[in-house]
Amino acid sequence: MHSYFQILEDSDSNKRQIAPEIIWRLGSEILYYHPKSNVETFNTFADRMKNIGVMNYLKISLQHALYLLHHGMLEDANRNLSQAETWRYGEKSSSQEVLINLIQAYKGLLQYYIWSKKKMELSQLDEDDYAYNTASQNMLNHSWKTSINLCALIQIPGVWDPFVKSYVEMLEFYGDQDGAREVLTNYAYDEKFPSNPNAHIYLYNFLKREKAPREKLISVLKILYQIVPSHKLMLEFHRLLRKSENEEHHKLGLEVLFGVLDFAGCTKNITAWKYLAKYLRQTLMGSHLAWVQEEWNSRKNWWPSFHFSYFRAKSDWKEDKALACEKALVAGLLLGKDCRYFRNISKQDHQVLKKKIKQMKKSVKKYSIVNPGL
Amino acid sequence: MDFPSSLPPSLFTTGPLGLSDVPDVSFMCSWRDALTLPESLPQGPENAAPHVAKGLLWEPDTPGPLPLLPPGPDPWDPGVTAQDLLFRGGYQFRRQPQAVLDVTEQVSGPTVRSATRPGLCLVTWPPFLLQLSRFLWDHGDIAFAPLGKLMLENFKLEGARGRSKKKTVVSVKRLLQDLGGHQPWGCPWAYLSHRQRRFSILGGPILSTSVASLLGELLHEELALRWEQLLLDDAFTGGALAWVPGRTPRAGQLVYPAGGALDRLYFQKVSLTPGSEPRVLGGPGHIRLRGPVRQVVTHTVQGEALLAVRSDYHCALWKVSKQGQPAPLQVLQVEKGATGISLSPHLPGELAICSRSGAICLWNPQDGLRQIYKDPETLVFRDPSPWRWADFTAHPRVLTVGDRTGVKMVDTQGPPGCGLLLFRGGAEASCQKGERVLLTQYLGECGPECLHPTLHLICTQFSLYLVDERLPLVPLLKWNHGLPSAPLLARLLPPPRTGLPRPLLLAGQGGELQLLHVAGEGASTPRLAGPPQSLPSRSDSLSAFPLLEPKSQWRLQERLKAPAIGLAAAIPPSASTPVLSLFQLSAAGDVFHQRLHLQGEPGPDSPAPTASWTPQATASCSRWLKALLEVPPAPPVWAAPTFSHRRLLGCFEPQKAEGKAPEGLRTAMAKGRLLQPRDLGLLPTEERAPAPEPGPEDELSERLEAAWEGQAAAWWERRRGSGSGPGKQPKRHKRRTQLSSTFSSLSGRLDLSDAASPPPSPERTLPEARPQPPVTPPAQESTQELWARGVPSERQQTLRDYMAELPLRGDAPGAASVPSSQASSVRATPSRQRAAVRPGSQPHWKKPRMGF
Repeated sequence: MHSYFQILEDSDSNKRQIAPEIIWRLGSEILYYHPKSNVETFNTFADRMKNIGVMNYLKISLQHALYLLHHGMLEDANRNLSQAETWRYGEKSSSQEVLINLIQAYKGLLQYYIWSKKKMELSQLDEDDYAYNTASQNMLNHSWKTSINLCALIQIPGVWDPFVKSYVEMLEFYGDQDGAREVLTNYAYDEKFPSNPNAHIYLYNFLKREKAPREKLISVLKILYQIVPSHKLMLEFHRLLRKSENEEHHKLGLEVLFGVLDFAGCTKNITAWKYLAKYLRQTLMGSHLAWVQEEWNSRKNWWPSFHFSYFRAKSDWKEDKALACEKALVAGLLLGKDCRYFRNISKQDHQVLKKKIKQMKKSVKKYSIVNPGL
Repeated sequence: MDFPSSLPPSLFTTGPLGLSDVPDVSFMCSWRDALTLPESLPQGPENAAPHVAKGLLWEPDTPGPLPLLPPGPDPWDPGVTAQDLLFRGGYQFRRQPQAVLDVTEQVSGPTVRSATRPGLCLVTWPPFLLQLSRFLWDHGDIAFAPLGKLMLENFKLEGARGRSKKKTVVSVKRLLQDLGGHQPWGCPWAYLSHRQRRFSILGGPILSTSVASLLGELLHEELALRWEQLLLDDAFTGGALAWVPGRTPRAGQLVYPAGGALDRLYFQKVSLTPGSEPRVLGGPGHIRLRGPVRQVVTHTVQGEALLAVRSDYHCALWKVSKQGQPAPLQVLQVEKGATGISLSPHLPGELAICSRSGAICLWNPQDGLRQIYKDPETLVFRDPSPWRWADFTAHPRVLTVGDRTGVKMVDTQGPPGCGLLLFRGGAEASCQKGERVLLTQYLGECGPECLHPTLHLICTQFSLYLVDERLPLVPLLKWNHGLPSAPLLARLLPPPRTGLPRPLLLAGQGGELQLLHVAGEGASTPRLAGPPQSLPSRSDSLSAFPLLEPKSQWRLQERLKAPAIGLAAAIPPSASTPVLSLFQLSAAGDVFHQRLHLQGEPGPDSPAPTASWTPQATASCSRWLKALLEVPPAPPVWAAPTFSHRRLLGCFEPQKAEGKAPEGLRTAMAKGRLLQPRDLGLLPTEERAPAPEPGPEDELSERLEAAWEGQAAAWWERRRGSGSGPGKQPKRHKRRTQLSSTFSSLSGRLDLSDAASPPPSPERTLPEARPQPPVTPPAQESTQELWARGVPSERQQTLRDYMAELPLRGDAPGAASVPSSQASSVRATPSRQRAAVRPGSQPHWKKPRMGF
């Protein structure tokens, strides 16, 4: 394509249709990054591009609004979205519908911002003030509009984290707990949606705020554990499982800790190691050797070189002595006192950690799953 | 690990493309991903998302990359091009080839790059038959020899009953000798043996069908394969250049293949200094391998630098010591051909190998080789490509397995075959029609946790995707890279400074480079930061080289345009502005280097400084170019047969000729290039007198007759006593014209060699002596009669050939010193005796008699 006018003459209708899209993409990209461009130029460009053909109006309007939003021009963005919302071309096709839903949702998000600003103002006002009443009235109005805008989109499969989050916050504020729960449950468990970890996290956080029973929390986190075993909520999950009376849960608690430490991004998570060292000792004391062995069997051929190598012992000791001690205890329990990591750390001479190392040696001697006699 | 607290909104549709008309909501604008939605009001959208990323620009020091190492001693041949394969005759077949992967799907569809159907003229018959007939003609030895070999020593062709056995039984050995480059007259077309002729008459009916069909099939297959390779050569996916960090952060080693066949793995120590160009320390060490190196991967795991190399059928693993010495660990053979190799960033020495058969194997020092996955079919939909790829993930026991249609996560400990799709080439990622996965790469491997260690980069011919393995199927980022060639190389670099996003380099096969920045750590989503940048490619460096004569210029251009097969980069620590050292490896084995520095915060009005060539840069380019031009150009794979002058070259050897001219001639002949006056150390010579008229001719016919009877030497001995100078000159002239008319290419050289002779030959400036088309000039028709007198007309051709043979040797430097007849000098000079009895000259001129 050499010029836009040339492409208008093109006999290929596909090319003719694609051309505005390409021009928009390149143009907007240049205008976004160019040091000398400003909002006015962008506005002019966007307004022009919107009206070339009919296929791109909604898409460009939406992106234009996003640009304005990014530049802090909320009102302009809102006006833009309102205009786009009412735009129709021909018969309503499903693609148009989705785009209009998206535009409405963004509009809802904008209204949420305004609402949350008002909420802030309200929290600073005196309840007996006259202004309080009008402000709260205003908020109610906004909330009603927003919920209409948001709820249509979040029925469509997709990732709608910001919309769901703000919608739930508003519902919660107005005391519609059941509505909020329904939205979140649907977002998390609807099979047509992608397995979004955030959906489960939002639900969990909501239930936690609601002070839901532990069983309920565990069941939510169990699913999250299956999707993202490396998530930081897993440590919280472990704590919940540990506190539970159910024996199965205790076993799962151990599994969760091992699972977290499998991941490359979690190798230096001192809390996880601390939990594992403590829980491992506890499990072995409670004579659940089988649980430990079950977990260890699938890891015994790679954990030693992954976590407990000589290199790791040296670097861990250099970087974080507390972490090295926790890891050494785990290494000793799992691999016996002849393990290189354990030997290396227990050899270290350190004033403060002396007592800890001594304790560690004792535990290893007593509980290690490796029986030196055999 | 943190998970982004709020993911960017995106629509989720499942299934193959084109089932629903749901719009593509990922608008493919890089800036759209740079937008961060204001999370909550307390910060306010006004002061959220500070524009740190906007000034993130890397400024190249020079307008293009510079050669880092001198060119290798081996010539480089760019290989088959699309033009070579496409039939050039018919207009309708002259289509521009396009780098698309899938031919069948590209035919229609409203894609952004609406692709035309690539010119698959291979399947259309008329041009193919033409090609085949040309092939049979040009490569007779290849086409017919195997069949002959199958038919053993002798074979009988049942001819008519009346024919004698002598005429129907043909010795294949002799026939092969005739076909296999055995050039009795120095030119394969100058002479067609009677045997060949007989064979072709007898075997014609059989050979014309069986050979054509057999060969046609094979040729068609080969052409299709070559065409596929031209569309996408995925052998170098991943790149064959690696930067192995050394003991200090500023020193390291470049590991790359070089040599004509790319079968030598070089280890070149390089020291990076922030202020100047990198210094090459000492000569490179090298290891010779048994096949071309396709991919070089390096990783430093727990302080151990490992190097994995993939060749076509072998994979090898080395451990690089702190001093930089490689020690071999393991060599693995891949029977069906390896397509990818990757090193584990978690466990030292563990590597994954992909085979064309669809199998993925894991090797580690403890357990050895283990097959973890095998599926000859592709993941999402059927695709003919046997390309497979594997990489590691954040979990050391989980691997990604990729093919052209998608990427799957496979647990090596779980039951075989199961896994979760990470990426699907379909509606989930809102792919385009014909979009195929070209490269997948795990991005979480570089130590410092400033990016999510669960990110994977997936490149297709249109777009780039960032996928988080915790949220499969939904790309967190999609960006249209717009590279004109397939992006087969990508490198994620550590952040140049703490707090800055990480640079991501993307290189297309054609040498185009792009630099992006990936930001987003902790609770924020990964996104592109800063404007995407296009970096200068090797062909941009052409202006740094001095202007050359067209042929050399073209050669240089071709060399600079060689496909990119390797990419490596390093950011040495520096106090001031961060500097990025970028290394590129081309298919010609050249390593180019470019330095980029991070631009400081530019004011909105300050113009960006433009890089220019420094004198050092142009000097180094000139040096490199000089070395390049000294490398002889690659001999063409096949060219129309010419004189086998090497055979003639042998005749010169024993001759101890004086002067610079013969030397110059010999070197020019050995190199097969044009002889120029400066090679002979000659100054422009003055005008010469025109050639005298042809003298008495009976002497010549006398001699020829003697020669015909095989007594040329005796005749010469007889003549020697009475031989006189001036009488010989005209004959020489005639022979020369004959020669020049038949074999044009050599006459020019001969002419110049004459010019070097101490007694100036009078015909030096004759127009006939210049290169001419092989058409007999009219002037020759008359002279021909003179020396062909008494020879039967059918033998004249043979005679002419013989004549052509003689002066060739006669015009040799030796002749220059002897002003008498050159033809006779050949036989007379004692040192020539070996040449005189050489088989192929004396016995052969007799042979044609049998043919007539």
